[in-house]
Amino acid sequence: MIKRWRQVFHKRYQQWIFRRLPPVKKIRLDNRKLFISPTRSGFVFFGLLFLLWLIATNFENNLVFAFTFLLASLFIIGVFHTFLNLSGLQIEGGRVTPGFAGATSEFEYLLSQVGKRQRYSIELSHPGVDPVIVSLVANEIKAIYLSIPVKRRGWFQAQRITVKSVYPLGLLKVWTYLQFDAEALVYPKLIDAPLPAQLAAGQGDKTPPQNYRAHNSGSEDFVGLEKYRLGESLRHIAWKQFAREQGLQTKHYADAIDDEVWLDWEALPGMDTEARLSRLCAWALRFSEGPQPYGLRLPGLELSQSTGRAHRDAVLRELALFEQPNVAGKIAVKVVGEQV
Amino acid sequence: MRPLWQIPRDCLFWLLVSVFISISLHLEHLPPWVALSGIIATLWQIQLYRERWRQPGRLLKWSLAGACAGGLYLHYGRMSGLEPMVALLFTGYVLKLLEIHNRRDALVLIYLSYLIIILQSLFSSTIVSSLLVLAALLPVTAALVAMHGGAENTRPASALRTALAITLQAIPLMLVMFVVMPRIGSLWAVPQQQSATTGVSDSMSPGDMTKLGRSGKIAFRVEFDGPIPEQSQLYWRGLVFSGFDGRRWDQQGPWGYNDGQFLQWSNQSRETWDKAVIRRGEPLSYRVTLEATNSPWLFALSTPLAQSSSVALSRDFRLVNREPVISKLQYTVSSWLDNQLEPEKLPGWRRKLELAIPSGFNPKTVEVAKQWREQTPDTVALINRLLALYNQEFIYTLRPPALGKHTVDEFLWGTKKGFCEFYASSFVFFMRAAGVPARVVVGYQGGERHPTENYLLVHQYDAHAWAEVWIQGRGWLRVDPTAAVAPERIEMSFADLFGEQDDFLAESPFSLERMRHINWLNTLRLKLDSLDYAWAKWVLGYDNIQNDFLMGLLGRINSQRIALFLLLAGGIALLPVFIMLYLSREKNTRDQLDRLFLQYCLRLEKIGLPRQPGEGARNYAQRISLQAPSLAGQVESLTRLYESARYAQEQEAEIKRLKAALKAFKPSRKDLLKKN
Repeated sequence: MIKRWRQVFHKRYQQWIFRRLPPVKKIRLDNRKLFISPTRSGFVFFGLLFLLWLIATNFENNLVFAFTFLLASLFIIGVFHTFLNLSGLQIEGGRVTPGFAGATSEFEYLLSQVGKRQRYSIELSHPGVDPVIVSLVANEIKAIYLSIPVKRRGWFQAQRITVKSVYPLGLLKVWTYLQFDAEALVYPKLIDAPLPAQLAAGQGDKTPPQNYRAHNSGSEDFVGLEKYRLGESLRHIAWKQFAREQGLQTKHYADAIDDEVWLDWEALPGMDTEARLSRLCAWALRFSEGPQPYGLRLPGLELSQSTGRAHRDAVLRELALFEQPNVAGKIAVKVVGEQV
Repeated sequence: MRPLWQIPRDCLFWLLVSVFISISLHLEHLPPWVALSGIIATLWQIQLYRERWRQPGRLLKWSLAGACAGGLYLHYGRMSGLEPMVALLFTGYVLKLLEIHNRRDALVLIYLSYLIIILQSLFSSTIVSSLLVLAALLPVTAALVAMHGGAENTRPASALRTALAITLQAIPLMLVMFVVMPRIGSLWAVPQQQSATTGVSDSMSPGDMTKLGRSGKIAFRVEFDGPIPEQSQLYWRGLVFSGFDGRRWDQQGPWGYNDGQFLQWSNQSRETWDKAVIRRGEPLSYRVTLEATNSPWLFALSTPLAQSSSVALSRDFRLVNREPVISKLQYTVSSWLDNQLEPEKLPGWRRKLELAIPSGFNPKTVEVAKQWREQTPDTVALINRLLALYNQEFIYTLRPPALGKHTVDEFLWGTKKGFCEFYASSFVFFMRAAGVPARVVVGYQGGERHPTENYLLVHQYDAHAWAEVWIQGRGWLRVDPTAAVAPERIEMSFADLFGEQDDFLAESPFSLERMRHINWLNTLRLKLDSLDYAWAKWVLGYDNIQNDFLMGLLGRINSQRIALFLLLAGGIALLPVFIMLYLSREKNTRDQLDRLFLQYCLRLEKIGLPRQPGEGARNYAQRISLQAPSLAGQVESLTRLYESARYAQEQEAEIKRLKAALKAFKPSRKDLLKKN
């Protein structure tokens, strides 16, 4: 019974939040969008105030009263300061990097501080993701990346992100839930399979890679280093370079495959749709790095043989959206990244 | 293993500062080893942070905790009472310092710091120590700020600056709350802080008052509603002594009296003994601010009636507080100086009580008293005869010779040198021996008038003992034998009389009182005292005057007015914050720029040169230059300013310049006709 009530309440709350804060591309936080309430340590602080009040009352000591009131006033003044730390902040949904089902997709958020103020310890979080904490100096724009897990292929819309701050006293939190008008294209889950005979022949004696993960990390061939971006997985950080004081960089991998081929739906008989798409996807990635053209054949669809990044993206996109009911997505704005 | 969460560096810094400050604040009433262990724990935590030392083991920590609890028990011999409780809290606090593993531990320490620092106010309530407590709260708040400031904000000074800003903004609001928030009386009895105090005690032996004469501490201050009465009227009755054992005088009540309640509270019906008092004329109304005495008795002029429900009138017409006075106490009294106490009759048992003298003491005095009584049957004449004896042969001194077993005999017929208690004691003994009911009264006499503020300062050296004699038809009559030997003692202030003597203030060697003859120092002393008095009245004793103050402020106290006042005063108190909010709001420079450009277009439109839809600023300017060449220069420069403002880094400055230029731009239709 209680559970049911809680569900009803939760649903109502979500609806209310949605009405109050509909999806946007860019938002400037103000008092209509921000919520404020005591934190847990704020409630403990109330306990401290009550204890001090009891002492003051029982000892009939006006000085203790005065200091109790001072602490209470700190709390009240803290409301304004906490609120100000988020109020006026602009947040914009940035680029979205496509991801593979079962891995993560990277969402970019641009936080900009217009004006002289500094903002401290702003926490961005999304369910299932480690929160990112940033501070902003005057007139600064900072990009935050959240690697949000994606489960199914197709269009994925991130849930509301929580923007929260407890600065300066930690007794109060000011927060908001933001829904950004951005969707990630989720490619099929990567499942590596031996290449069919006709494809393997063209591949020569290259050993197929074991499997693929997001960020191309499972692959053997190290491509190069790129500058670390906030929110990227710590696993790919090049610690050696960091130790040499070359700054934070991440390692990127890729493979190279050559020859001209067809990635064919019919080449994988006896499997269900998702299993076939997963394998086709893995193959597409493998060939995309090579010089030879490759094409895609799906029921009712054929992409002619070609090479290059754009072609790869087109292939992956078809795989991602194959037999998806809501192909166009509900939301008008879609941002597709240019690099996997 | 190193804990996953690490306390931010600046937070730890301020936390350690807070601990150090709490130790130094409480140093006075903590066992030295507790303070020492606090310092050791602080050092340990610093080494822990620098990864030089390791976390103390569990065994060590528990044995430390046990040792501390045991040590406290040995030191105090009890665990109840304020000091042991604070010390116990303190040891817990210090030990907690050794195990900051997570955010919660740090928070606990910060909250404990708040608590412990504020508890200092229970021990000391002077202005200086309160300011110290206020200052000590700053690093604690700074620690709280540093803990939530994020990794990029690690300079300790920046956390302190924020803490200072918030605290300063909070102070007006605190004052409003302090003024308005109602105080309810104490909910349950609490262990009270007892400390050694100087003052009149509940018994009197030769030499007791002399000791007080050497102390320059304030006993109490009195603010009269009207003018301050004559010095010789100011007999502040504190205690009445009817029992005498040959050396010591002490109280007889409540056991000695058996007609009705000994104490009459203001909310009770009047006792018969109270009805037997004759009070004439208008009462004198005044407010006394008494320093802590650790005793319940209060001081007032005869015969008093207190306004407070926690103050009672006693059977011997003194005021008694419900609790011992452990911190400054304020009470309002009305006194009828023209009065007669028990004028009609003294019952037999009372007569016996007030005539009792111990047998075997002072035989010579007893004998002389009987002789004199036979020679002078009239009581008043007898009193005057004894006072005349004092006046002729006795010396009033702060350095009286010591007395043996027969104190009165030795004093009256031997040494003849003494302080007030010698005179009061010998006088009462003599009267009793002569068959006249008499008793000793102790309290204070006179006081120092503050030259600028309308109040009276009564010091410990104003402590005095005198006598009361019962005469049929007139009741209890005040007789001050000291006045007979040294009338100037009663007429001028004690300090003026004894200021030159070495023994005066012998126990307060650094007191400003000793410098009374240096004019500016004396002024400074009195200035400081008026500050101290204002502090006592408006802060420490605010609960006593809260009602009157709010009544004066609001006219009448009801919930609407209180709410309105809270709203108004709270709004004013929050004003600095609102101003800050207003100043720090982000100015939308884009909007401002658009508005200025619109103004510019409107002015041109008025003279018949509207901007075409879709026309850019530059094209518009070129067109105007052609149509009205006389405006060309102005329009050109305004457009340039507008463009640079639009794309400048320092937009605000550019906008300012554009605004100034626009102010001077006043095109008129005449300009259209001019051909430059």
